[in-house]
Amino acid sequence: MKSPFASILATLTRQRGVRASLVVDENDGIVVDSNLQIGQDGDRVAALAASLYRKARLSARAARLGTATFMQLEAERGRICAAGRNDLVLVVVADPAANIGMIRVEMIKAAGGLP
Amino acid sequence: MSITAVEPWVEIPLRKFVEEARTVLGLLLHPSGQVIAQFGFVRAVDVMSACALAAAIHASAGELGKQLDGKPFRGLHHPGRDRQLFLAEAATPRGTFIFLTVFDQESSLGLVRLYFDEFCKSLAAAAPSAPRRVEPVLEERFEHELNRNLAALFGRE
Repeated sequence: MKSPFASILATLTRQRGVRASLVVDENDGIVVDSNLQIGQDGDRVAALAASLYRKARLSARAARLGTATFMQLEAERGRICAAGRNDLVLVVVADPAANIGMIRVEMIKAAGGLP
Repeated sequence: MSITAVEPWVEIPLRKFVEEARTVLGLLLHPSGQVIAQFGFVRAVDVMSACALAAAIHASAGELGKQLDGKPFRGLHHPGRDRQLFLAEAATPRGTFIFLTVFDQESSLGLVRLYFDEFCKSLAAAAPSAPRRVEPVLEERFEHELNRNLAALFGRE
């Protein structure tokens, strides 16, 4: 049976350079649904990205910057992007050369559709 | 955070787990209830109670799993309002141990599970190869050994 997130994840994974896309529970860091390329460790990404996103969201609020809408982590061998709504976080793992602008637009659009 | 261990080989894997998973309390114990290592506890009596309860919960969950699923449940997660509890088995060449940890909003179940898997691997790698002598769960020396372990952890007789 298809989950309600399958089409969101499929749209994100179709973007060039995207290795994994996941819907994660922000509080638990547990995968709700995912679309992963071979070799991607969904559980690890979910736990770490949800923790980062949560801390970023709380930091933005503590700094009186308002609601965090998008978070991006650039590393030597890839990027992690996260966008959340309510208790869910949309996470994308992408290659360093991926078009982050496009991914960001799609993620913010998709996050708006999260329950 | 203060980490104390009755068996020294446990200390490095446990310290790494605490630093990475950011949990607030932890216990490694033998399935009989004998404490092996702890962090975050202040009083020996709390360790003693937690060990007894963890051993009982583990035994009950194991038996329940056997009856429902044909094999023992090996992990348990209980989410409280402010704090959550995670209890699971860690297998090593020295035998199987029970690991109990409590975490708050600084961590998450996903992080605890992730770092627990790594803890199990490093614990198994650090364990001395000589097998531990298998002893009956309740023997005459149980209380004596329990008190000895608590004294080793909290530095008093």
